[in-house]
Amino acid sequence: MTIITKNLQVLGGSVGFFIEIMSSSAHTFRNREEVFNQTLHVFWQSLLTTGFAGFFVGAIMALQFTLQMEVFSALSYLGGLVTSATVREVGPLLIAFLLSGKIGAFTSAELGTMKVSEQIDAIRCLGADPIEEVIVPRFFGIVLASFFLLTVGLMCSLFGGILMASIFAGIPWEQYIRHVPTIMNGFSLTSGVVKCFSFSLVIATLCTYRGYSVRGGAKEVGEGVVQAATQTMISLVLADWVSSLILEELLNV
Amino acid sequence: MQSADPIIELRGVGHQFDDLVVFENFNLKVFSGDSLVLVGPSGSGKSLLLKFMTGLVAPDQGEVFYRGQLLSTLSKKDQQSFLAEVGMLFQQNALFDSMKVYDNLDFVLGEAKPDWKSSQREAEIVKFLTAVGLDHVPQLFPGELSGGMQKRLGIARALVLQPKLVFYDDPTAGLDPITSRQIIQMILDLKKQLNATIVTVTHDMMRAYQLAGEIMVCFPRDFIKTGGKEETLHHSNAKVQQFIHGDVKGPLEAL
Repeated sequence: MTIITKNLQVLGGSVGFFIEIMSSSAHTFRNREEVFNQTLHVFWQSLLTTGFAGFFVGAIMALQFTLQMEVFSALSYLGGLVTSATVREVGPLLIAFLLSGKIGAFTSAELGTMKVSEQIDAIRCLGADPIEEVIVPRFFGIVLASFFLLTVGLMCSLFGGILMASIFAGIPWEQYIRHVPTIMNGFSLTSGVVKCFSFSLVIATLCTYRGYSVRGGAKEVGEGVVQAATQTMISLVLADWVSSLILEELLNV
Repeated sequence: MQSADPIIELRGVGHQFDDLVVFENFNLKVFSGDSLVLVGPSGSGKSLLLKFMTGLVAPDQGEVFYRGQLLSTLSKKDQQSFLAEVGMLFQQNALFDSMKVYDNLDFVLGEAKPDWKSSQREAEIVKFLTAVGLDHVPQLFPGELSGGMQKRLGIARALVLQPKLVFYDDPTAGLDPITSRQIIQMILDLKKQLNATIVTVTHDMMRAYQLAGEIMVCFPRDFIKTGGKEETLHHSNAKVQQFIHGDVKGPLEAL
């Protein structure tokens, strides 16, 4: 089987799985406590890492822009440019990469282990639907937590940018944020929010799908985790490209 | 004395994995109150047979009937009533490892009896945890239990809905002889209490004799019902004799 066929199979499988989750999600309300628990669990588990990564994304962006903009004596626009670029593009993508590694690996390993240790079969043996009982709460937990984590990460990136600008370029924070509203317009913000949401869906779908598709033993669980991580990262880049194209076309600002 | 209609019946079942044929035109009837024990070498399809009977796996060919109804065509409601009458202990226990001992049973009751009050559920859970000797560890996680305790929890979970038909997939795997004997005795006591039909897979001939109403020795594509302990011990088939005595030399070498 060629690599293209394999990837098309994964794409088809994950789209089908997403549809199955959506059609089973009528019971989400019944499972709202479980969804809430999953959201909280994922959120706390990744908060520190996301905040740390977000902070340094902003700091690195500020450092790079400082070096470039000093040449043009345009440092007063630093805050606006760094924040806009981070919120629009770099921040969501980098933080989503991190989340796919952390939440994605955890979820696919957990579901894969449940599958090979027959816990999923045990649920089916009770006449219950494992998609409703196990996948739907995790899916919505990941979507909600990832969205909040991406938002927190982006806020931390703003602080990282402010701190780095103050240390390396000597720009006070008031001056740094003065041009933020001028450059970071509604499009940047919408773009950031849409990307955060679409990346959350990509992470949640692929990681639950890969974990739930595991068959075999410990080796296959390991393989499933690796595939979940790599395929999620590739899909995130593609989702970023597609969402950028669509947003440019729709909002065109 | 067997009732006229089997509780579960397999007709003309065939199944294969790639080129490996495991079942070929296989037929089996299990009657209410039976205690059928499946023994045989690894890979002969014993666990798969249990999965056919629970509907977890559909055979490539043939049909599985539960009380005369074709399992594959049951409506969702009928399927749920069927599963409410069935309990299963999985080979690796399949305990919900993110849930505590108590919650493993509570989850089952919550799914099957959503209208029950929590006090009703609690009384039932305590009853079953006491029956399997785990009433002192309800707040532990399965990973914190010994192998024997995990088996007992698996048995309690399989029985908490008081099923009429119970499948045990290797209930004594990895346990010492004394714990194994206790587990089998517990299975027999609970069978009596619940008036259940049981089908058990085991590799341990001593435990098979302890359990058996009837023994079936399973070889790939060849399943031989040998009868009770005495009939099995004196069965004329050379493969059966080699397997039950654990001889290295014999007709099974060729398999």
